[in-house]
Amino acid sequence: MVLKENDVKNEPACTTTSLSNYLWSDAPDENKWADCVHCGMCLEACPTYELTGQEQHSPRGRVHLIQSVAEGKLEVNEQFMDPVNQCLDCRACTTACPADVDVGGLIEEARGQIRQAMPLKGWKGMVSKLFLEELFPYPNRMNSFGGLLKFYQKSGVQNLVRKTRLINIMPSHLVEMEAVMPEIKVPVRKLFKNEEVIKAKGTEKGTVSFLTGCIMDVMFSDINESTINVLTHNGHNVSIPKKQTCCGALHVHAGDRETGRKLAKQNIEAFKDADKVIVNAAGCGCMLKDYPELFREDAEWKEKAEVFAAKVEDVSKYVHDNGYEKPKSEIKTRLTYHDACHLAHGQGIREEPRKILLDIPGVEMVHMPNSDRCCGSAGIYNITNPEMAGAVLERKMENVPDDVDMISMGNPGCMLQMAIGVEKYGRSQQVVHTIQLLDWAYKKDAEKEKSNKGGEK
Amino acid sequence: MPLKLKTKDKHIKKLAEIVNGPKSILYLKEDLLAYDCDGFTIHRHMPKAVVFPKNTEEVAAIVKYCASHNLPFLARGAGTGLSGGAIPINEEVIISLVRMKRLVHVDLENRRAVVEPGFVNLKLTNSISEKGYYYAPDPSSQYCCTIGGNVAENAGGAHCLKYGVTTNHILGLEVVLPNGEIIEISSDGIPDAPGYDLLGLLTGSEGTLGIVTKITVRILKNPEAKQTVLAYFDKVSDGSYAVSDIISAGIVPAALEMMDKIAIEGVEAASFPVGHPKDIAALLLIEVDGIEAGIDEQIKEILEVCKKRNVREVKVAQNEQERARWWANRKTGFGAMGAISPDYLVQDGVIPRSKLPEVLERINQVSEEVGLRIANIFHAGDGNLHPLVLFDSRKPGETEKALKAGTACLKACADVGGSITGEHGVGIEKMEEMRFVFNEEEIQAQTAIREVFNPKNLLNAGKIFPSPGRCVEIKKEMKATSVKSEEKLLEFS
Repeated sequence: MVLKENDVKNEPACTTTSLSNYLWSDAPDENKWADCVHCGMCLEACPTYELTGQEQHSPRGRVHLIQSVAEGKLEVNEQFMDPVNQCLDCRACTTACPADVDVGGLIEEARGQIRQAMPLKGWKGMVSKLFLEELFPYPNRMNSFGGLLKFYQKSGVQNLVRKTRLINIMPSHLVEMEAVMPEIKVPVRKLFKNEEVIKAKGTEKGTVSFLTGCIMDVMFSDINESTINVLTHNGHNVSIPKKQTCCGALHVHAGDRETGRKLAKQNIEAFKDADKVIVNAAGCGCMLKDYPELFREDAEWKEKAEVFAAKVEDVSKYVHDNGYEKPKSEIKTRLTYHDACHLAHGQGIREEPRKILLDIPGVEMVHMPNSDRCCGSAGIYNITNPEMAGAVLERKMENVPDDVDMISMGNPGCMLQMAIGVEKYGRSQQVVHTIQLLDWAYKKDAEKEKSNKGGEK
Repeated sequence: MPLKLKTKDKHIKKLAEIVNGPKSILYLKEDLLAYDCDGFTIHRHMPKAVVFPKNTEEVAAIVKYCASHNLPFLARGAGTGLSGGAIPINEEVIISLVRMKRLVHVDLENRRAVVEPGFVNLKLTNSISEKGYYYAPDPSSQYCCTIGGNVAENAGGAHCLKYGVTTNHILGLEVVLPNGEIIEISSDGIPDAPGYDLLGLLTGSEGTLGIVTKITVRILKNPEAKQTVLAYFDKVSDGSYAVSDIISAGIVPAALEMMDKIAIEGVEAASFPVGHPKDIAALLLIEVDGIEAGIDEQIKEILEVCKKRNVREVKVAQNEQERARWWANRKTGFGAMGAISPDYLVQDGVIPRSKLPEVLERINQVSEEVGLRIANIFHAGDGNLHPLVLFDSRKPGETEKALKAGTACLKACADVGGSITGEHGVGIEKMEEMRFVFNEEEIQAQTAIREVFNPKNLLNAGKIFPSPGRCVEIKKEMKATSVKSEEKLLEFS
């Protein structure tokens, strides 16, 4: 074969013109994919690859696609969006990756581009706008929403809706979710709104600031109460900064990085004077620690975000590392522990919650195989990608031992999803937050003490 | 309700029918791009389509269709191969076997198991370890690579020094031939069947003779005892001599691994650091296993050898966690290079153990000549080198330099009477280098074997063997060296 003249290049490669098809700022970071050598160690860690066997739904495949858009080989279109949006953002690949490639970070940056190139339409767009933009960022609206839910549960409307099968007009995955909705109680931000600082019991060790979370405080205010109780019980004053807001994780997962930044700034300001920022939702904790990533192109805020991120700590790790009173009362239960993705993979916290649970007398821990496998909750993934989320949940439930009374974990999203799993597969386990169980043991101690004192009288 | 396909291509429509629906076939550019390479990333080519059969019959039907319509095709597992064996250089239809991932049968009494090709290597050991058994071949990618791929490449691993490579553990195969016919070889799993050793021929044929759809493997009883040693050396040559001394002392370690300074820098910067000192020149990871009695003796002897060779520090793993940490650090070594370099090219030469210091020195020279760093992580015990050439494909000219360095490393191995591949296969990567070890007649003799199985050459064409007539000058030069190499090979064996 004879070479054509113009096939032979005699000039140096042109590197000045960008071929990238990412058209907005804050594009996926070249340095993140430069670490990936395509070795494939991530494949088996990925729940969506496990289910589909398709490499565009694997971490290294996604990284390759994201890189290809930057190299001008692909465009930001629906076909590219599918693998990027099907990612659960569970970060299991980060744990598996020998080179520490930040796949999760790349995915979120790519979603930011997708969101701008192809704004959400249809019911997904409506739901997203309603919840992410109009509801979560506003604590007052969240409270009203909670009130509405409470009314729904208490007034008999819930019963009516269920009995009249009116509920069947909802998609089946939302019906599943409705069935396990926890009983709405009073949010701690309302409960403690008149207290500057909730005082520690016994010897004071200092003051921590508590991020109550948006959904957490409405749907799981009892866990927030438990968190405050455990902290004060162990000598920590707790303050709840009033100006705090939603952490923005759900927005960033959905590609709305602009709102993410807005919320981040508000939280960084709200917790400016805090020494420690305590979180009891793994997803929120991970997001707070990732704030600097949102400000890659804004040096001033990046620095502030770094200072803030260094103060963030999950409650289980904080309690574990700073010493805690071992409860004396027995809680007789066989339980298994689920590693929330954003606790185990996102923050490397695996041992601490288990140690806390084992320090409660009467607790017997049963090993859950693949305990750090995603349950499919993944923020609002179970609402936007119900099919995949359902399949991931099914795998998860296969790993939950039959003969346990409780499943313990450290993330509200997982709790809701696992509760759906328990309901859907006819299981009987109670789903609890790690800190809740410790609080219950303390409460038992207190009751005992009270009745002992009563007996002495 | 099946989705409509977004294509008018009649072949794709037909293939979609065979695998039963749109979720088992990929044909759009965005999806196919994820299949343009495997673990060897330097050459990239787009496939025509990727199909995901569920069983042998579907594989056979796809193959029949491709064969009768002259569509090139190839099989792919997890795509972790390091020589490009699964890269569709002829715009192949990729037959992905990852959905055929059942553990079909375990027969503890006769110590064998039957798996489908997409079953992941480590999952086999994990599924039988509680009962006291394991599957011996352990390539470093065992966390994710498939046993089907292991058969294709005749994969090795750290523990193959004592226990042998994949081919020593294959008892039977079900194969779809390139014309779509399904055959079984030693399906009863009885070793050493009379007649030609077809198992041996198929294993390591790099997917050019047939597509394996069921595999009977040997499983072993867990060793009674196991001890692992980590030794740090200030000089590479001291480490190399220690390797020879250990083997000469009559010890057959289960594994005997070496890493050099740059490799250590990589693994320590990555996700599974151990805390190796940064200023050492080389480390050895040595494992002995077997019956309880005698293990301590062997360890004592190994420690003495290391001391005699001026070891700076040597320690025995105190518990299973420590051992596991050392191994995770070693086994993720290739991927870890991503932490210190955007790209790497790994070579896979084999040399007589006694030539270790000499060849490592030569590799060092190559590194200086081309101006690229080369890390060494390898199976020192069986002389299977893995020079990792570190480069940045974004920099003009660096990829070519890396390829040149890789070739020079293999030449160094061939020159001392070694070979160009120990376990990664030839693929497309080392085709030209085949001439370092084979002359034209020998290559033709082998392609003649391929023609018996794969006469139309539609299955994974253009792999392993260089096409005749290319690179005349190289050939001449190589012919001279290959005669020399042959003599040395005899000596070596």
